[in-house]
Amino acid sequence: MSFEGKYNVKSPAVKRLMREAQELHEATEEYCAHPLDDNLFEWHFTVHGPPSTDFEGGVYHGRILLPPEYPMKPPNIILLTPNGRFEVNKKICLSISGHHPETWQPSWSIRTALLALIAFMPTPGNGTIGSLDYSTEERQKLAKKSLSWQCDSCGKIADLLSKDTAKTPITEEEQHMLDTIALKAEEASTNEPSFSSSIENVSESELRQRRMDTQPETHEQQEAEIIVNPQVETMSSSNDLFWSILIATLLFAIILLVLRRLFLV
Amino acid sequence: MENKPSQQKPAENTEVNQDELILQQQRRIEKEISESIALVGEKEPLQSLEREYLEDEVYLSKAKTLGQKYSYIRRTRPDGNCFFRAFSYAYLERLIDIKDEFEKFRELALKSKDNLVSLGFPEFTVEDFHDTFMEVIDKVGAGTEASRLELHKLFNEQGYSDYVVVYLRLIASGQLQREADFYQHFIEGDRTVTEFCHQEVEPMYKESDHIHIIAMSAALGTGVQVRYMDRGAGTEATAHDFPEGVPPAVHLLYRPGHYDILYP
Ligand SMILES: [Zn+2]
Repeated sequence: MSFEGKYNVKSPAVKRLMREAQELHEATEEYCAHPLDDNLFEWHFTVHGPPSTDFEGGVYHGRILLPPEYPMKPPNIILLTPNGRFEVNKKICLSISGHHPETWQPSWSIRTALLALIAFMPTPGNGTIGSLDYSTEERQKLAKKSLSWQCDSCGKIADLLSKDTAKTPITEEEQHMLDTIALKAEEASTNEPSFSSSIENVSESELRQRRMDTQPETHEQQEAEIIVNPQVETMSSSNDLFWSILIATLLFAIILLVLRRLFLV
Repeated sequence: MENKPSQQKPAENTEVNQDELILQQQRRIEKEISESIALVGEKEPLQSLEREYLEDEVYLSKAKTLGQKYSYIRRTRPDGNCFFRAFSYAYLERLIDIKDEFEKFRELALKSKDNLVSLGFPEFTVEDFHDTFMEVIDKVGAGTEASRLELHKLFNEQGYSDYVVVYLRLIASGQLQREADFYQHFIEGDRTVTEFCHQEVEPMYKESDHIHIIAMSAALGTGVQVRYMDRGAGTEATAHDFPEGVPPAVHLLYRPGHYDILYP
């Protein structure tokens, strides 16, 4: 791992992530995580299913996406290994229970996010977005299967965790955090930027125009928006579909009326 | 996305969503406007405040009276962190000229990390914020004309600027928790001081109230005077000293939801 040339190592966020990479470098029996070789803001992680739960013995792999504002804003987690609790390939974010993703604390870290994920796995999904409520049998089956699951870039994940490095004990502060934390699939509010396509109106585009003069959008912002939008795509296209059908129907009716006028004299 | 329109009944749901969408659009525009304002702006003559209110008698008269007591204003970005950003900028700027007060503050800042760790804050990340905080203090501490430029530069670099805000939020939270019995009386509802800190003090972008200012000034032993400018009666923006009776080292202007720096 050599990010020195690629990133501004004086930037606090980069320094922080390199520190965290150092801290999490050595795998424990509970988890391990590392940044991708070419992107300090995307990590892959592996966690052990918590003991005495449906996930015992399972090993689960996934991605951690760090926003450009990290650690001011929370990381997002995407699970890749089928597990029966979280949908795979779906962004889940970290927040205090309730609905306050803004209560993420900058003093939390990637380790906090992983501990939260482990602690949250055995809790009921209750039909929330991104959650799955598979039966115990199905989850146990998936836990067994997970041992042979492979990541395209990390290989066989069962080999990634350490068998003899004991886990770092959870501090009081972390325990407090784990008692109140919640993981949720992304909600509408975090999708804000992408909604513009469906409701852009005159006053807004005017305002934007004026703003744009003084403030060019940064590269990072655009990137963040791209990650966000698969659901929104379907949403605006369903809107578009509705309007196209409506317009087509009206046009058809008008043409019919015109033709009738022309030919049925 | 509970209100996401389904493929089957788009028309009905689009209507239900309109309010929510407009609200989101509004929030996004607010965010864009906020981000177009510098984190900490240049020093401006106080008349620039009057020019904002040419059409507004109440505010105009208060801005004029303010002009008799203060000569300059320095605006900060309205992103919810403005109290902490304005306070730390104004305080560090003052310390550039006062060597012994600077040394005292540096000593206090050095020791603050261990205090926070002993209160249960995670050492690993607190150390990270503390290192950057000390780096900023030391870069500004030389006490030369270059210090002012350095201060202004660092506070307008999002990374450094936000790290200073995070660390001050931690110090304020530490102060509240250390003297929880006392501060409990100021907290509305049935939240404990620790809960209040986790929800209202430590997270970024959370706006500051009296209790944040009290905690901050107590933790650093610094007097803060805030001028409150609102629609209330009178032609003067009311002054409030934190703590009372202590000569202020930092002067701030409060307008609903926002703090800027004032210079006598
Ligand atoms: Zn991988």
